[in-house]
Amino acid sequence: MSTAQAGTTGGYLGAISSISADDVPALYQGAKFYSPAVGEADKSALTAWLAGLLDRNGPVALRRPEAMPPDTRCVSLCVIGSGSAMADLPPSGDEFQLAVQRIEQLQGQPFGAVYPLAAATVSALVPVVAAAQLGVPLLDADGMGRTYALIHHTSMYLAGLSPAPLVAHGPTGESVLIEVTIGPRADRLLRANVDTLGGWAALAAYPTTAGALRRAALPGTVSRLLNVGRLLLERPTPDVLVARLAAINGCSRIGRGRIVELEHLSRPNDVTVPGHPSSLVLEESDGQRRQLRLELRSEIVAVFADGRLVAAAPDLLSLFDVSRGEIASLDSLEPGDLLDVLVTPADAVWYSAEGMAMVGLGSHGIGLDHPRRR
Amino acid sequence: MSRPRGAALPVTLPITLAELVRIAPLAAGEVLHLADPARPVEQVVVAETIDRLRRSSPHSLVVLHADAAAGGWSLAAALHLAWERNASAVVVARSVAGPSSAALAQRLNMTLVVIDEQPVEVALQLAGQVSAPDAARALRQALFAERLAEESSTRAVLSALNGELAPVPVALVVGDAVLAGRAAALTEGADAEQVEVDVKAPGERPWARLVAAVPARVPGAAQHVEALLRLARPALLASLAQARLNSAQRATHEQAAFGLLRQLAVESPSTDRVGTAVEAPAWTSDLGWHVDGFNRAVWLAPARPVAAPPEQLTELVRAAWLRARPTWPLVAEDDGWISWCSTSDAEDVSLLRGTLAGFRETAAAHGLVVGVGRPERGVPGLMRSVAEARLAAHVARDSGPGAVQWFDQVGPGAALAWLPTAEIAQVADLCLQDLMAAKDRSTLVDTVLAVLDCGGSLSQASQRLGVHRNTVLTRVARARQLGLDFEDPGQRLALHVLCHALASLSDDPGRSGDGPG
Repeated sequence: MSTAQAGTTGGYLGAISSISADDVPALYQGAKFYSPAVGEADKSALTAWLAGLLDRNGPVALRRPEAMPPDTRCVSLCVIGSGSAMADLPPSGDEFQLAVQRIEQLQGQPFGAVYPLAAATVSALVPVVAAAQLGVPLLDADGMGRTYALIHHTSMYLAGLSPAPLVAHGPTGESVLIEVTIGPRADRLLRANVDTLGGWAALAAYPTTAGALRRAALPGTVSRLLNVGRLLLERPTPDVLVARLAAINGCSRIGRGRIVELEHLSRPNDVTVPGHPSSLVLEESDGQRRQLRLELRSEIVAVFADGRLVAAAPDLLSLFDVSRGEIASLDSLEPGDLLDVLVTPADAVWYSAEGMAMVGLGSHGIGLDHPRRR
Repeated sequence: MSRPRGAALPVTLPITLAELVRIAPLAAGEVLHLADPARPVEQVVVAETIDRLRRSSPHSLVVLHADAAAGGWSLAAALHLAWERNASAVVVARSVAGPSSAALAQRLNMTLVVIDEQPVEVALQLAGQVSAPDAARALRQALFAERLAEESSTRAVLSALNGELAPVPVALVVGDAVLAGRAAALTEGADAEQVEVDVKAPGERPWARLVAAVPARVPGAAQHVEALLRLARPALLASLAQARLNSAQRATHEQAAFGLLRQLAVESPSTDRVGTAVEAPAWTSDLGWHVDGFNRAVWLAPARPVAAPPEQLTELVRAAWLRARPTWPLVAEDDGWISWCSTSDAEDVSLLRGTLAGFRETAAAHGLVVGVGRPERGVPGLMRSVAEARLAAHVARDSGPGAVQWFDQVGPGAALAWLPTAEIAQVADLCLQDLMAAKDRSTLVDTVLAVLDCGGSLSQASQRLGVHRNTVLTRVARARQLGLDFEDPGQRLALHVLCHALASLSDDPGRSGDGPG
């Protein structure tokens, strides 16, 4: 059957049981979709390194938290700090492994699995690196389902798990151990040290058990990311892409338009979230020819169509460059670009009152009701 | 009568956007988009949050402040909500609005004004104006009166009126001609109502009208516009008087100067063309005149001779003639006006032709003809050219209003132009009573004139008239019976001239011979 064939060649595999070197390009593409702010700078070094690791050590097993014994110790991993610093000062290779081992030493128990703190950006790749190095499975779950700015913006934190003790291991071999109970404090203490560590650091946090993660983590997010990445690698036409993304993650298109204006520092900024508030104005090229206004920070936080709020954080808002046929990264936009504005609903936990308070529009200084709640 | 109680009281109409943006504090701001100037404003809302807009009532003016003015997004959201809530306008600090905000305001057709002052203070002042519209209107009128007092020319007064009343066009009209302002005021439209105010010259003589085309659907707009037009009357009169004074002085001055110049030419010892040694006196350049080089004179005259043209016509001619060439002279003399252009190249007529083309419409409208003399050197040459131009103008009268005659193309036929045809026709009334009483007299006169013009040849005359030779013969015989006997050589010239006069008069539709005496 042609549809069945399309299913296999089309790349959608449903839940995935292992990640091999062949999956690395898809992993990277998916990671890019879930965080459009990431640039291309560190792409080749990282992917080549990861593919090499997976070639040498064999594929990494991907397990759902339910498939692990409940008392299996698990720790989350991510990269904290600036992506360009990481391009300047590339990983020496053992940061992630050492960060995990530091917490193992502290708690006196080995970890039986690692999981991504946020399955997006380079942080989607590094847990695979650590899993390959440590020889443990990777959990098919994460704490964000996309990426948010601060380390306590996780479903684990919302479920009452503490991020501490956490270890940040820099590329120069130095590390910082932080033990606090309040999530926001952990983030501030951590950020104060990241610069000194070299601009970026490998972070191991949220040490817990697989049993706790069954209810606290967002399940299936790594498989989902790989499926999205496979789809993007096929470079489908924009219409096909949106239709097939809809089947994977509920993505839909708000509109297609050309950039007519870029505004910088377009809103008052607070200091809680690192990011540069700017705005993007698109003129819809078909349909009602609405004026689409995108408010940017470290991500796209809101989309207004003719002044009406049509989508907003925690929705995942991404831009698809129609002429290049790929996801546009926020640092490469120019007036005249023709873009599809895509909206993907975030995981349900983020639309709860607590989730909205943490990562909703209000946290970006925009005091409007979310369009999904109105 | 079921009229509600109190309906007879004068109704205070809510203030409109057009009125608000003319007075402080909005006058100091900038209107990025004005959707409908006639839109009433019934309330002022100070919105600290975007949510406040959801509770605003229609026809509100919304001033954004604090969180509601936090950036482009808040203005975009506010514009959308204002549109949803049918607000009249949105006012915001300038720093918040970018080009895309103006574009969105235009797209939603929502009035957007940016201000530089504190939004809350502006809102307070606006609230005062909205709650007392008549006071705000009076303030606007007072400000306008102050502005008018500073204007001294007709043009400036009209541009002030047009600026104040925009988008309503205003024009100052004399007869059908627009003297100043926007001609759009005269075009009648289904949705426009014309408001007219007469402007009287000193001595209560009607001089001009101020006309404005006001949108018909706005209640009370006509009264308001009329009030402002009335306000402009004294300023217009003052500017008129000033212009009169200036032009009357100038006309007298120029007339005297031209008389002196003419005397100079007559008194000059050498009158032959080669030896024109008369130097142009220095005062000619004070008047802006050029008389060195080749002077080509132009004589402007009414198509129908009148004793002396009225002062108003002189003014009109001066305005129209000098529009393109403000430095050329214009001197009123006898029944016309003299002007000339001085060029170094005798054959260069491009400037003059251009000016004449521009003047053609005015000439036709006011029944003027134009004669142009030949280029002649120096002051005596100018006087000769003036005489030629005058002669050419007389010839031009034969072709009717608007005609232009160059002396180069006139020839001896010009002599006929000088004949006092009206007086000669009166002679016919006395000497040829039988002929003048005949119903077919114009046919007879034409026939006899043709025969005389053809040196007595009946066949040539019949060809020229397009009738049979026998018809000509019959008509000549009948004319002879009625006293038009041209066989006598002693009377032939007199009769030829008489026929010419009668024929040229009957050509003139205004003086058709069928009238009762």
